[in-house]
Amino acid sequence: MIEVSGLRKTYGDFAAVVGSDFEIERGKIFGVVGPNGAGKTTTLKMLAGLIEPTAGTATVAGFDAGDPEMRHQLGFLPEESPLYEDMTARSYLRFFADLYDVPRDVASDRIESTLDRLDLEYRDRRLGDVSKGMKRKVAIARSLVNDPDVLIYDEPASGLDPLTTNSVLDFTEELREDDKTVVFSAHNLYHVESVCDRVVIMNEGRIIARGSVSEIREEHGDTSYRVFSDTALDGTEPTADGRHRAVVDTMAEVEELQDAAKAAGGSVTDIRTDEPSLESIFLELTGQQMPSPRTAADTAPADEPAADRHELEDSP
Amino acid sequence: MSRGDRLRTRLTTIGRRLRRIGRIARWEIGQSTNSYNRRTLAVVAVLVVLVGSVGASAVALGVASPAPNTDIYRVGVAADSPYNAVIEDNAALTARTPSRSALATGEIDLLVGGVRQPTAGPGPRSPTLLVEAADGEKGAAALTAFRSAVQSYNDRAMALEANQTAAYPVIVELQYLPQSTLGPAAPTNAGNLTDGTDGSEGDADEDTDTEPDANDTANGTSGSSDGDTAGSGDSTAGTDDADGDAPPVADGGGGSLLDRALFGGGTSGSPAEIQPPFPFGSLLLAFLFLVPMNFVIQSYGSSVLNERISRRGELLLVAPVERLDIVAGKTLPYAAIAVAVTAVIAAAVGGGLLSVAAVVPIALTFLAATFLGAMFARSFKELTFVTITITVFLTSYVFIPSIFTNVTPIALISPLTLVVMELQGEAVSLGSYLFSTGPFYTSTAVLFLLGTGVYREEDMFSQKPVPLKFLDALDARLSGVRSVGVLTALFLPLVFIAELLAIAVLFVLPIEVSIPLLLVVIAAVEEVAKSIHIFAGFESDRFDRSASTALVLGAASGVGFFVAEKFTVVAQLVGLPDLQLGQAALQPAGIGITPSTTLLLLAGPLVLHTVTAGVSALGARKRLRWYLVSLVAATAIHAAYNLGVVTLYG
Repeated sequence: MIEVSGLRKTYGDFAAVVGSDFEIERGKIFGVVGPNGAGKTTTLKMLAGLIEPTAGTATVAGFDAGDPEMRHQLGFLPEESPLYEDMTARSYLRFFADLYDVPRDVASDRIESTLDRLDLEYRDRRLGDVSKGMKRKVAIARSLVNDPDVLIYDEPASGLDPLTTNSVLDFTEELREDDKTVVFSAHNLYHVESVCDRVVIMNEGRIIARGSVSEIREEHGDTSYRVFSDTALDGTEPTADGRHRAVVDTMAEVEELQDAAKAAGGSVTDIRTDEPSLESIFLELTGQQMPSPRTAADTAPADEPAADRHELEDSP
Repeated sequence: MSRGDRLRTRLTTIGRRLRRIGRIARWEIGQSTNSYNRRTLAVVAVLVVLVGSVGASAVALGVASPAPNTDIYRVGVAADSPYNAVIEDNAALTARTPSRSALATGEIDLLVGGVRQPTAGPGPRSPTLLVEAADGEKGAAALTAFRSAVQSYNDRAMALEANQTAAYPVIVELQYLPQSTLGPAAPTNAGNLTDGTDGSEGDADEDTDTEPDANDTANGTSGSSDGDTAGSGDSTAGTDDADGDAPPVADGGGGSLLDRALFGGGTSGSPAEIQPPFPFGSLLLAFLFLVPMNFVIQSYGSSVLNERISRRGELLLVAPVERLDIVAGKTLPYAAIAVAVTAVIAAAVGGGLLSVAAVVPIALTFLAATFLGAMFARSFKELTFVTITITVFLTSYVFIPSIFTNVTPIALISPLTLVVMELQGEAVSLGSYLFSTGPFYTSTAVLFLLGTGVYREEDMFSQKPVPLKFLDALDARLSGVRSVGVLTALFLPLVFIAELLAIAVLFVLPIEVSIPLLLVVIAAVEEVAKSIHIFAGFESDRFDRSASTALVLGAASGVGFFVAEKFTVVAQLVGLPDLQLGQAALQPAGIGITPSTTLLLLAGPLVLHTVTAGVSALGARKRLRWYLVSLVAATAIHAAYNLGVVTLYG
């Protein structure tokens, strides 16, 4: 559904995206992950035809990105999607449906059903008077007025409260069931991990890892094993429950511990596998430090100004 | 796909685009309406009432009370004289009882006497109207006004003839020839103006009530009959004015300085030397057309900038709508308001379709300049600066020249002059209309073209300084070598406006200073127009910075300019090259040159533009400082060429 080859964008001497290549199958959710300035938004905007690539190609739903026909197949949700605050949700969505040449009756049915699915109230209230979460839902609904095959969501849950965030993520998963192809970027790796079928991790304009979350974990993560025995062995530490624990990196070392315990007249009572989170892989690959506390995007109140959140997100 | 299918598809696409433009326009109206609270609307309403009051007052002034330019000159004329109709027809003249004593005491400024028949001896060989002017400047000015009024009357009377070829092969043509001394007006008899013969054969001998004999006058400045009259074949400057459009020649010791300056006197005719009968009433009314523009562009500029600052425009860009359609949809309501307000004002002040047709291109240029400014501005503070600059510049450009409506063809650089002319009841030719409005229409197109070029995500939401945005706008319209030439050609309307403005501004200086200065200014304007986009292309790394590339781009730009420059021939339609300043500005381009030198002067500008654009392009490939140096060099070469042409052929 989406094919990207050698996609590159430079601004003078600065390379925002350097030779991206990836493919996305129909009905999949594709995550683009990376720190600020990694080139995620630039990549998504090149896919949406908003930014002209310096080099390379991107085809979306069989059309070159930027082809006006492609836009009929595309729903785009920018990171910041300010609405026309004097309009109501209905009038706003009808306006965009008109621009997409959606027949009036079809548009009305589609708008109502989408707003129902998003559980959106106050459909005839001025958009300037509704909450941030509702505005985001209206923006998502706008991305669907033309019933597109491809959806590009840039930080769809940015700045939302946890409840609305879950609602948006659940809705995104529903889109997969509707056979929509979704590309979305997020700072919050938990969101990506929980929703995406495939992921690319970008840093400084380059894709540094790609695949399903498990493939990335397998390729880039360091899996470790905690081995518990009922007898003390070399390299083990006593635990609170009277057992002894050793942490090893390979199954061969696990087997060696099993043999040693047996030789000592004891046995290995438990083996636990510790898989790395996408977040830790991401931090390791990008050379970042673990933010503390948790990213501000998750904790910011719904009505907090966007600029403040960004400052918080940028802070270590 | 058959031709019919293709046509159907194209029509469907056009219909769809128009529908989207209409949808965006309706949405824009809703947005704009909602963005103003009741208090703002109340303030606007008050201002509209204020403007309306001024307009109504101006109209009333023109109708009910003496306006500044009405009844200025008192003319003693007999009640049964055919010249009474001429005087009644002219607002500046008012009829009084003819009396020599009244002339002596200053109660009247002009005395229209009878007609002296030709005699066998020396003297005129056709009937001569005897006119006597009071001493002093006012008397001379009254005579000039009277002469002009007679000519206008004759022209209108001639125009009333439905069948202009009824007397074919006899061609009727009025010629106003100078006389050796001030006095007789045109020999055409007002009572027999359209008989299809020489005006001199009118029934002049019925005017014998008063017999002011020029030879009796003490000052010797009026009433003389010893000069040539119609048909004398004197080939002085006055004979060029066969169409009667230009003010009459007032040779000898009298007449206004303006006449001598501009139409045969050989002096520069700067405003310091002229005493024009300013059309105050018409100017005031014409100015009313400009006032609402300022409100419209404020609202329009805010709407465009708001889309950028809030990033709302991004969602429109990702919709299947062409950028041009978005801009058209957003602009349409404001253009419609401007046209509607113009039509209302025109109806209120007595203007007609011509006034509307003249003001519409001004309104469009206001909008186009505001659009481009709003695309460049980074904040509402900058937008305010931009809109004020646009308002001041365009208002000055269109208003100040129109003051000289009755004085010089230069006034036609402003479409507002057409409004003044219509309000004064003067006819306007198609050529004059095109000359006045053409640069405005084409500039509007170019400004929208540049603005639409940066109506895209990468430029709309960036915070670059205005000069860099300007370069981006130019770069957005470049693709290859040919595009450089095309863009240069498209700049010509702007160049034309800048050059005409330079003519108008330098008009006030003595001719010895203004012409050399004008040559340099024009050279600089043209060199910038030929190279600024090449510089933008190099700065964006669109072109490689080799010398050969620079020369190729320079040549393309020079050719583009040369081809487009030929369109300035339209200036000839209105007689602008008749002025010395006009010649200086336009003749170096090859206009008005005799056929024997045409070939040389066709090749000359082509070589000049190509060479100088190449010089500028060579500097443009090496950053700003070198570009400026090369621009100065190119300007110097160009100015030297202009000076050479003017010296050789001027």
